[in-house]
Amino acid sequence: MRNALVLDGVIAECGVLRRTPAGMPALEFRVEHVSRQIEAGIERQVRCEISALALGDAALSAQARRPGDSVMLTGFLAARSARHSGLVMHVNTIEILEGTENGFQTEEKR
Amino acid sequence: MVRLALPVPLPRSFDYLAPVDISAADIGRLARVPFGKGEKIGVILALPELAAVDPAKLKPLGPILREVPALPADWLAMVQFAARYYHHPLGEAVAVALPPGLRGAELMDDRSADPWLILTDAGRDAIAQAGRASRLRAVAEHLAQGEAQRSALVAQFGSPALREARQRGWVTEAHTRREADLSAAPTLNDEQHSAVEAVWAQAGRFSPFLLHGITGSGKTEVYLRLIERALAAGQQALLLVPEIGLTPQLEARVAARFPRAKRVALHSGATDGARCRGFLAALDGSADIIIGTRLSVFSPLPRLGLILIDEEHDASYKQQDGLRYSARDLAVWRAQQAAVPVVLGSATPSLETWQAAQNGRYRLLRLERRAAAAAPPVVRLVDTRRIKLKDGLSPPLENAIAARLERGEQSLVFLNRRGYAPVLACPACNWVSDCDHCSAHRVFHLSERILRCHHCGTEAPVPRACPQCGNQDLHGFGRGTQRVEEYLAARFPQARILRADRDSIKTPAHWAALRHAIEAGEANILVGTQMLAKGHDFPKLTLVGVIGADASLFAADYRAPERLFQQLMQVGGRAGRAGLAGEVFIQTEFPEHPLFDALRRQDFDGFANSQLEERAQAHFPPCGAQAVLRAEAPEVAQALEFLSHARAAADPFADAVRLYDAVPMRLVRRARLERAQLVIEADTRGALQNLLAQWVPLLHTLKAPRTVRWHVDVDPIDI
Repeated sequence: MRNALVLDGVIAECGVLRRTPAGMPALEFRVEHVSRQIEAGIERQVRCEISALALGDAALSAQARRPGDSVMLTGFLAARSARHSGLVMHVNTIEILEGTENGFQTEEKR
Repeated sequence: MVRLALPVPLPRSFDYLAPVDISAADIGRLARVPFGKGEKIGVILALPELAAVDPAKLKPLGPILREVPALPADWLAMVQFAARYYHHPLGEAVAVALPPGLRGAELMDDRSADPWLILTDAGRDAIAQAGRASRLRAVAEHLAQGEAQRSALVAQFGSPALREARQRGWVTEAHTRREADLSAAPTLNDEQHSAVEAVWAQAGRFSPFLLHGITGSGKTEVYLRLIERALAAGQQALLLVPEIGLTPQLEARVAARFPRAKRVALHSGATDGARCRGFLAALDGSADIIIGTRLSVFSPLPRLGLILIDEEHDASYKQQDGLRYSARDLAVWRAQQAAVPVVLGSATPSLETWQAAQNGRYRLLRLERRAAAAAPPVVRLVDTRRIKLKDGLSPPLENAIAARLERGEQSLVFLNRRGYAPVLACPACNWVSDCDHCSAHRVFHLSERILRCHHCGTEAPVPRACPQCGNQDLHGFGRGTQRVEEYLAARFPQARILRADRDSIKTPAHWAALRHAIEAGEANILVGTQMLAKGHDFPKLTLVGVIGADASLFAADYRAPERLFQQLMQVGGRAGRAGLAGEVFIQTEFPEHPLFDALRRQDFDGFANSQLEERAQAHFPPCGAQAVLRAEAPEVAQALEFLSHARAAADPFADAVRLYDAVPMRLVRRARLERAQLVIEADTRGALQNLLAQWVPLLHTLKAPRTVRWHVDVDPIDI
């Protein structure tokens, strides 16, 4: 089953680095995403904010980021927990996007 | 014939052919006997004329171990009583009562002891005659001036001379000087004084007392003064203490008070050699004071004059496997047999003892004045129904801790759950850290990163990912002492925090070091389990916060409220000594519960009486007697089947008793075995014993799979 997400955005809130019971670094943060997308042939604006969770090396590199940093995230989606069906993006890689102020410019560069 | 008790799980004694040189003096001695393909050591009980089996089938007795003195008749009677009352095979009861490895005389040489020595008449005669000057003679002449300690004599004259003097019988241990050193003793207040006088007025008679004294009221001093009276009368005193109560502090206090008396400390942590030496010193009458945990109730005491039981309500007095005896109850029986006074001391007596004091079987002595602090602690209930807790702590408790920090006083946060979190779980798929062998969760211990079952002890490393779904972001749910410690360290970064539970304290040396650190004021906040609740004086401790007490409030065990109350009274008693007023904060969702109300008023009497009423209505002990038959097997169905056969076997005798249904135990599975139990109740101990005497022998004859194991627990403390 496919579950792959690539998302550009700006780090909004950044939690405190913690460790899983086995000692793995873990960091929760939120990402704001703003872009223009084509829908049924018409371009439209898209805004969303999503919770993200990074473990291991990804958590350490996420920790190095500050709110306002633009990043490209890759990962997958999962429910917050068995009880809460809200989605959380589990982040495998984080890349910093340079010289960008917001999603519109990123879109234009491509 | 010779009849012996052998350490085998069969409820009978064994007969052997007697050797020609055997005599009545050998009754109570140990002997080797052939048994099956091997050999066992047993105790000679009797020399009957007629064997219980065909004499032609008897095997000859092996060597009698005459180097060990014979166990006296009253000791044999006590062990026989214990076997009979607890319905346990006599030979196994003997094996419990004897120290392990009691074999030979070589054990009697105690190199670590440093006895006081005196000159014998033979020694005096020897130096009265003219002779050449020698080191040997010098030892004797030195002792003619007065007693001396062995170490001093060895230093001055060398050990060969001293050994020679002892071999010639010139020198012996001084057991005649047992007077107390009262130079550092506090003056008794009038309550303590009248308690001592009341007990000692009954010297030489069986007379049980409940010494009900609140924490800090000076019970120990009463014990010491009574020991002083017993020693002055040339008697031995037995002081029983709980498992955790046998502290170097207490030993040092007794040693300082009775520097010349021969003291023996007996506990399960002592080496086999030390236990044997202590046992033999008690047996030959040379020991004056025996301090020990439950097993020391089996010390043979030919000069016994007094029995003291400290913290008599403590659960550690009940053995939880094999011979499931109550050392407290056996001690009272023993006092009766030996016709001596027995004092049961506690701030929170067991309901059994309280009832006896209420109906006049025991005399009630009260110590109501705190010797150390001016006032009892103020108990405050924190209603946690509408307060948001942070890792279990309420804002009022946090503020109180902060105030103590500012004033340089100590706080104690009491939580009876060790580890970091009681369970590790996966939020994604609901996996929980169950034990493979028990119907219980494995507890998450963060510092070692392991999961440990507190029931069977098995451990596993914390899994990197959920074994069920692979999620790595597992969570500890609930809180234990480690988590509270972590939270407090983050909340009060300037504070020094010490944690005291069975994980942080594994040896008595750890414990001593920790206590020393606390007393020296090296900690601002203590986090601990019931380890910290008992009998330790921490002079700067003025605040106790209790979290997580509600779990015991509605437990299924009818003794749970009694235990909770005892525990909270005890832990609350830690607050405010040495002149500083104390406060106790109890966080609860049930602030109107009568138990807390009684606690707030420090009203033990009211609480105990209301509990007794409830027990009387339900016919629960002490208003009735209970025994439980437990069975364990690989599958609970087998255990239940055995119990239902057992129940049927009891029916013909069950007029005066109530037989409950066989049910699985609350913790069904433990260490790969599944357990079930059958509770038997009667209005009196006599009726219960009647049934057990007829029924337990039948249990041995019931057909059951080999994998089913069972035991009887008389007067159980856990149902």
